[in-house]
Amino acid sequence: MFCVTVWFCSQEDGLRQILQEMESLYEQNQSDVNEAKSDGRAELIPSIKLRHCCLLRNQRCVAAYLYDRLLRIRALRWEYGSVLPANVRFHMCAEELQWFSQYKKSLASFMRSLGADGLDITQDMKPPKSLYIEVRCLKDHGEFEIDDGTVILLKKNSQHFLPRWKCEQLIRQGVLEHVMS
Amino acid sequence: MFVTDIRKEFYEVVANQRVALLVASDIDALCACKILQSLFHCDQVQYTLVPVTGWQDLGTAFLEHKEQFRYFVLINCGANVDLLEMLQPDDDSVFFICDTHRPVDVVNVYNDSQIKLLIKQDDDLGVPSYDDIFRDEDDEEGGDSGNESDEGSEPSGKRRRFDEGAVERRIERQRAKREWEARRREILFDYEQYEYHGTSAAMMFFELAWVLTKDTKDMLWWAVIGLTDQWVHDKITHMKYVTDIATMQRHVSRHNHRNEDEENSLSIDCMRISFEYDLRLSLYQHWSLYESICNSSYTSCNFKLWTLNGQKKLQEFLADMGLPLKQVRQKFHSMDMSIKENLREVIEESSNKYGMKDIRIQTFGVHFGYKNRFLANDMVHACAALLESAEKDDGDNFINALDSLSRSNLDRLHSGIDLAKRKLIAVQQTVASCICTNLILSQGPFLYCYLMEGTPDVKLFSKPMALTLLCKYLLRAFVHSTRNKRCKLLPLIMAAPRDVEKGTVIVVGIPPESETSDKKNFFGRAFEKAAESTSSRTLHDHFDTSIIELKTEDRSKFLDALITLLS
Repeated sequence: MFCVTVWFCSQEDGLRQILQEMESLYEQNQSDVNEAKSDGRAELIPSIKLRHCCLLRNQRCVAAYLYDRLLRIRALRWEYGSVLPANVRFHMCAEELQWFSQYKKSLASFMRSLGADGLDITQDMKPPKSLYIEVRCLKDHGEFEIDDGTVILLKKNSQHFLPRWKCEQLIRQGVLEHVMS
Repeated sequence: MFVTDIRKEFYEVVANQRVALLVASDIDALCACKILQSLFHCDQVQYTLVPVTGWQDLGTAFLEHKEQFRYFVLINCGANVDLLEMLQPDDDSVFFICDTHRPVDVVNVYNDSQIKLLIKQDDDLGVPSYDDIFRDEDDEEGGDSGNESDEGSEPSGKRRRFDEGAVERRIERQRAKREWEARRREILFDYEQYEYHGTSAAMMFFELAWVLTKDTKDMLWWAVIGLTDQWVHDKITHMKYVTDIATMQRHVSRHNHRNEDEENSLSIDCMRISFEYDLRLSLYQHWSLYESICNSSYTSCNFKLWTLNGQKKLQEFLADMGLPLKQVRQKFHSMDMSIKENLREVIEESSNKYGMKDIRIQTFGVHFGYKNRFLANDMVHACAALLESAEKDDGDNFINALDSLSRSNLDRLHSGIDLAKRKLIAVQQTVASCICTNLILSQGPFLYCYLMEGTPDVKLFSKPMALTLLCKYLLRAFVHSTRNKRCKLLPLIMAAPRDVEKGTVIVVGIPPESETSDKKNFFGRAFEKAAESTSSRTLHDHFDTSIIELKTEDRSKFLDALITLLS
């Protein structure tokens, strides 16, 4: 979680600086091109070309950065489920949130179309070895209800033998730990 | 009530239910827990495991889980107290108790509905018969009132005679009742006076696994460790240990014979358990031979290694065996093969000359992979050190100790072995200093020793198992070092600071040391009575009633009360 917040801090300042730089480069190029055309100063052309290359490079970098963010946001859906924790949402801009909700919608409609009732493909990311797993509680989590209605008290250092599918979410959140013996 | 068919009355009952496991903090309980957990994994029985360290913990755990669970399995706790009165459960809660603590409370034995004891009805239980302790009050009352109602219809002439008859009968009945109650008190007193231990819980669950034919070598190894724990911590007599070893030996040979017919021999990574007639030197294969001899209670007490004379005798002993000091002081693995080959026989021969006839003891060892050999003894020491490590809190300790029993957590086991080495060295040094500074005082009916707060490693001894171990070694050393014949037969009480902030000490009492000791401990009742009579602030929280916590200020009056009680 810590690493998520570190890289996800929207590099707004950085982006703004890049955009400003691109703007100033473009303006300089613009004036140089006009000068070159009107005054016929051919020696300005290499500097125009250089600035143009810089502009293209900046564009590539910014695009790559934004695309990488989108890929990570997509991975968040698989890791955290459809509701993102507040501190992650804080670092996303409005458009990214919109993209996330649209991705959620398309994933959900895809899952609904599988099989008769739909299939939740975000469960069981690795092929499960058994129906029930042994888990250890790492922190006090209070009461937890499982499918048949029974309630389990998750207290620190207690161990439980529970159905796999109920535990996965809590294991991802770090409340439970899978014990392999 | 006692369960006769453990499969039908226990396992098949819980197989489709959710179970709460309440496990005490000792090695035998941990091993029993591991065996039961593997059985439950096999059959996908959902359970919740809660470690408990004392009666208060047990009560809290029960309250927290009683809404969600109907079946509770208590391992190494709960048999020696009236459980229903203590926990006040609902009528549909069922408790399966597998406990080595004896005597089993009579209410637990005679309750048919809610308490099921997973205990063998050995000969040595000695439970009083039902009629001696319980009696229906209704018959007598009915008889009396029937007579009285009859009286009214009789003519007045005969009434006085009948009155006298009725009054006489009533007096007779009351006298009989008082006699019966006196006898009942006596029987119960005799029954509950001494505290001792029965068959290991791990062995009981292994037997269950065997009956279900789901036993594996891992479970067998855990059962062996549970039994060895009882022997290391001096809970059972030597006779019982040898008998139980023979039982385990049958299982071990059965498992070993399973693979004899195969053409390919077992891979080196498979687990092999073998019967060993090995030396009584703690952790000697993971230490140097010299250190092990110095820090094992048997050799240290026989040589009296806290004296100069003792050190000299040890050097003679090593010279007698032809073991160069340089070899003996280095790690056991690095000793010359020529020395290691006949080491056990050589040591046995020399020990006989020095008066140590039982330097070898029957035990089991496990071997898996190229490097990993452990004796059951080693595992017990490592696990006990992890369970009572002063650096972490109880919950983490329980988890670490439980994990160290699995073969896949070797690093934890090795860290446990290191902690165990430090603990044994600390015990040895404390014993030496107590003997040399004459800290053990004879108080008349018992010996007494108090560990001051500034003693090195005193934090280690604020835990019950470590303190009990120290107590036993100290008594053995004292018996070897004193000339006073009467003092050799006395039991020992030891006190050590438990919590400096709260100002409490932990007090442990052990029975006298003798060859034929039956390990029966009367201090439980004695402590209770002494605390009552002096209204000392005590906490009888531990499952062993001979271990209590006491406020430091009340120490002297408590001791005085004990002296008067036991004289």
